[in-house]
Amino acid sequence: MSANIRPSGVFDTSYAQDIALNRTRTDKLLSLGGFLVLLSIPLLTSEGPLGLGIIPNLWVGTLNRIAIFIIAVIGLNVLTGFTGLISLGHAAFMAVGAYTGAILGRELGLTFWLALPLAALITGTIGLLFGLPSLRVKGFYLAMATLAAQFIIPWVLRYPLEPLTNGSRPLEVPVPTLFGLSFASDSAMYYVIIPLAVVLALAARNILRTRVGRALISVRDNDIAAAQMGINVFSYKLQAFFIAALYAGIAGCLSAYNTNSVTLDGYLLDTSITMLAMLVIGGAGFPLGPMFGVTLVLMLQQIIIPTLISPLNDLLPRLLPFINPVNIYAALSPLLFGLILAVFLVFNPRGLAHRWEIIKIAWKLRPFSH
Amino acid sequence: MTTAGQSILTNRRVLRNVLLIGAACVLLAMLAPLVADQRPYRLLQSSITGVLVGGVYALIALGIVIINKASGVFNFAQGWMMLLGGLLFYTFFSASASISPLAALLLPALTAIMVTTTNSWRSLRQPRTLAIAVGITAVGFALLMLAGDDLRLVRAVVGAVFGAVLTGLAIERFAIRPLIGQPLFAMVLMTLAISELLHGVLQMIWGSVEIPLTVFAGLGTAGIPMPIRIQANESLGGTIIVRTELLVAFLLALLAFAAFVAFFRYTSVGLAMRATAENQKLAQSVGLRVRTILAVAWAIAAILAATAGVLQGGATSLSLNLPLLALSAFPAVLLGGLDSISGALIGGLVIGLVQEWANLLFPGTQAGTELAPYVVLMVVLIIRPDGLFGQKRIERI
Amino acid sequence: MKKLILGLAGLALVALTLPAAAQDAMELPDFIEHTPCEVDLTGETITIYHFGDISGPFAFITQPLLAGLEDSIEYYNAHGGICGATIAAENRDTGGDAGQSQAAYDYFSGLDPKPDAIILYASADAELLREQLAEDEIPVMISAGSIPGLYGEDGNTPGWIYATNPLYVDQFGAFCRFAGANPNMYPDPVVGYISWPGAFGEAAFTPEAIAYCASQGVTVLETPEYFPPTATDITTNVQNLVDAGANILYTNSLASGPFLVAKTISDLGLEDSVQLAGVNWALDTSVGLLSRTALGSDGLPVVNGLVASLPFHWWTERELPGVALINEQAAANERTLTTQNISYLLGWGVVDSYVELYAQAVNEAGSLDAVDGALMQSIIQNLDYSPLGLYDFNFEGGALRALPDNRMAMMMFANSDMTGVATSGEDALTVPLPDGTSAFIPVLVPLTDFEDAPDLRPGGADVPAS
Repeated sequence: MSANIRPSGVFDTSYAQDIALNRTRTDKLLSLGGFLVLLSIPLLTSEGPLGLGIIPNLWVGTLNRIAIFIIAVIGLNVLTGFTGLISLGHAAFMAVGAYTGAILGRELGLTFWLALPLAALITGTIGLLFGLPSLRVKGFYLAMATLAAQFIIPWVLRYPLEPLTNGSRPLEVPVPTLFGLSFASDSAMYYVIIPLAVVLALAARNILRTRVGRALISVRDNDIAAAQMGINVFSYKLQAFFIAALYAGIAGCLSAYNTNSVTLDGYLLDTSITMLAMLVIGGAGFPLGPMFGVTLVLMLQQIIIPTLISPLNDLLPRLLPFINPVNIYAALSPLLFGLILAVFLVFNPRGLAHRWEIIKIAWKLRPFSH
Repeated sequence: MTTAGQSILTNRRVLRNVLLIGAACVLLAMLAPLVADQRPYRLLQSSITGVLVGGVYALIALGIVIINKASGVFNFAQGWMMLLGGLLFYTFFSASASISPLAALLLPALTAIMVTTTNSWRSLRQPRTLAIAVGITAVGFALLMLAGDDLRLVRAVVGAVFGAVLTGLAIERFAIRPLIGQPLFAMVLMTLAISELLHGVLQMIWGSVEIPLTVFAGLGTAGIPMPIRIQANESLGGTIIVRTELLVAFLLALLAFAAFVAFFRYTSVGLAMRATAENQKLAQSVGLRVRTILAVAWAIAAILAATAGVLQGGATSLSLNLPLLALSAFPAVLLGGLDSISGALIGGLVIGLVQEWANLLFPGTQAGTELAPYVVLMVVLIIRPDGLFGQKRIERI
Repeated sequence: MKKLILGLAGLALVALTLPAAAQDAMELPDFIEHTPCEVDLTGETITIYHFGDISGPFAFITQPLLAGLEDSIEYYNAHGGICGATIAAENRDTGGDAGQSQAAYDYFSGLDPKPDAIILYASADAELLREQLAEDEIPVMISAGSIPGLYGEDGNTPGWIYATNPLYVDQFGAFCRFAGANPNMYPDPVVGYISWPGAFGEAAFTPEAIAYCASQGVTVLETPEYFPPTATDITTNVQNLVDAGANILYTNSLASGPFLVAKTISDLGLEDSVQLAGVNWALDTSVGLLSRTALGSDGLPVVNGLVASLPFHWWTERELPGVALINEQAAANERTLTTQNISYLLGWGVVDSYVELYAQAVNEAGSLDAVDGALMQSIIQNLDYSPLGLYDFNFEGGALRALPDNRMAMMMFANSDMTGVATSGEDALTVPLPDGTSAFIPVLVPLTDFEDAPDLRPGGADVPAS
């Protein structure tokens, strides 16, 4: 949307410029600058080489987790946002990626750098398998197939594959190394995860510009019309499943090697639903959607709400004397989360990325409104 | 293409049926020895337990289906609505000394306000509507405060119904209505936000609960054996147990099913609801009050959820784990078709049966609760993509 | 040391009689013997860090823990704190979610100064954070007991987590030892394992445990049964085990888990042929209270007769001064019956342990700031102390990560004049609750003395050589 509205004075003189992601010099500088700032964060923490304490150590680990979820949700965006196929089983694909990466590293002795792409490809294939019902099934019924995946895959990992996966017990994952450098610390993995996340985000953004992306969007908008125009709907749906599972596999594998241990607990239905929520809040179908959604939800859950709890816990028992203060303390976490989520959905039903687009357009068109 | 190829393509349906029958035969051949190993009374026991447990699933599925039928939203908050209904029932089932008059007054009052202002807040200005609201409040308050301990079931039912109606109407008005016209995803995820909100509210009012609900104690004192034992040692090899609590749940599910089939087919409100589900704008242009209809749908679903919560609480206990039961009912919903009442019942029963049989035939691996329902789901998907009883969607460009 | 305490007590008594001048702090009772402080920490604050499930499914366990921490912190602060320092608590809610646990840990480990110790209680959290705790050098005290969390995947790599109760698999072994040694109670013991799925529920069912039980004359069925906490009906699961020959059902679950198993046994009419056993959490007050509406054929709640491990002293052992103190404080703080459970006791134990640990740590380090995780770990490992007499805090110099002391106990219910246990519903004590039901008062009757539970880690000392 806002891509079509250019600041005055900017004209495209070549096709390359027309389809470029960063069209103006300002855009290029901002993107590059932003990337450099991101990369420099671990250097500014107290555990960095200079020992500066500008940025709390907490941020590096948090950003790692956010980036991993962003990768997974970008995959979900391709499936649900671009192609319109609801998926309730995304966390199961992350589990496949995590366990495959771990097992390849433990049993076959592959290094992380080999295990990651292999795990991603295997997860993509499994995603394809669970996408096969899309031949005959549409809409929320397709969510059935993904819901089935969400339960069948952990069951398979827990019981038949127990000798490989340790079942319900955690699986230890070897530390990645490169030429003797160990990637055990948060900061080291940061330099793997963040660039990978940026590259994958750009790749997904790129998909939108290509024929595949346009086909996916036409499938979402009206698949019968798309079929009429000669698009092989089934093939593109399968491709969407493949890409989504690929991304989920990468995210899962990174998560496994980041925390050096894998359990099934973090890959169950509530994680899938949370990722769907992150996508919708961020804006499904927008390339920036996952970024906004994941950051908002994770920061809400892990930083904002715990910080809000202490003052509220002091305030509310006085306002509501008839309620047991222990109950107030316990209730604040889900209450705040639900409330803030509900407010966001009411005021931004199409997602934060949509709001961001509106802001950008308003800025570019100022002082006019349209 | 050769004629052989052509004939294969033209006979695709025959080929597919042959493959399906073949697969079914293979499956039966694999399962037969396992089944034969079991003593007959175990098979019968599992079937009975499965059908009864399926009754609870069916109730949950029914609630989700009704909301889906009326507004197209898949309600993720059904589990927490169950717990809320169960806890409200528990509060009013307790000794009358512990019921605060304020709660007994507020509950009917708020419900009355929500009911009378479904279409617009200004309807309270009309004296007739105001009178109705006051009347409902008075009746509710009287029933809740004056019913003594021997009428606690009545009091609890009244309290739970009022509470469920209030919850359903409140959710519909403050959470779903603002999102009408927005993408369906947003509404579905709003139900997710609602479930977290309900979690917080429940935790605040009742704390971390782990309470047994004694709603079925009355049955015991009335002389009905709990559980019902059918001695069949000679014929089948053992005693068959029928848990009375689950039997009640099952019968209630059947009752609800019959009532709703009749409701949707024969009453004008039911017909109006089906029309609204098809096309809201068209329904509105014909003069149907869409807002009222949606509110009624949510209230009915909330009552069903409360019933399921009370029955589950009576059969096991009310705890913060209870909402997870709704997750187990999702395959039942989808199995039967998202918009079919009979599908919800059949789906629930099938899922219950499949769970128990899988637990029986494949012990030790949780195949019953985690694997079997979803495998069945996948199979049904292949054969009937719209669920067993779902309406075949006719799509237009 | 006793003379010193007595002397101090004497001084305190004198100080109390003087007009209210300087200190309000009272002295701790005699039976609490802490290492005397060589450094005065008045004006400092020592924080107990804890995170756990406060709003999720295990909230009814964590909330009494918080209550116990709160009451004991208040008590100890009024009695001199830790060498004069005020004790505070900082909690975080994880809601039972792994991501939240990770975030809470990141927050605590990112604090400056880093925590000297953290309190946890969920096995899943221990397993998740094992590596990171070792990296950040923060010892953890936990009241759970799964092997991967404490000893790593191979069972032989002790980490930085110290459990104040025996490993769950060791508790299972202790039960088998007890069953094998008591043929009058268990004439032909065949155990069926029925539990919740997941790390906690599956923790005790290991090949080592099965082999050890066999060596004690107790057969354990090969196929366990798992049911989700939300299960409406587990008749099929129980019947599977009973048909396979089980006459004892062992469960590694809590609250509704043992209750549901007991209820199903009763419904199936198997009360006389099948007995119930479980992990230490199965003896928790919540189980006894939950079962108040499901009565067996003798009129007592169906969980009557449940045998499980009780690795610490219980509320009813008031002859112990520590237990008497806790009872008195719980009553003074008006704690309800549901709060008087295992976690509340453990909360008191934790705070008392903290007082002792920090006293020793500060003595060794010289100041509070010099105390760090590594020092705390060495003190934990070398400590031989009994907090309020509840359990024996002795990790044998670091060889162990779980306290081995254990004894078996049976859950019964008090009789109407509180002199003993009830034999049937008629002579049981019932307390009417506000919700209209009547609660039976659970009483834990010890069946054995304290002894070390068998060591059943992979390669552990008591694993039979195969």
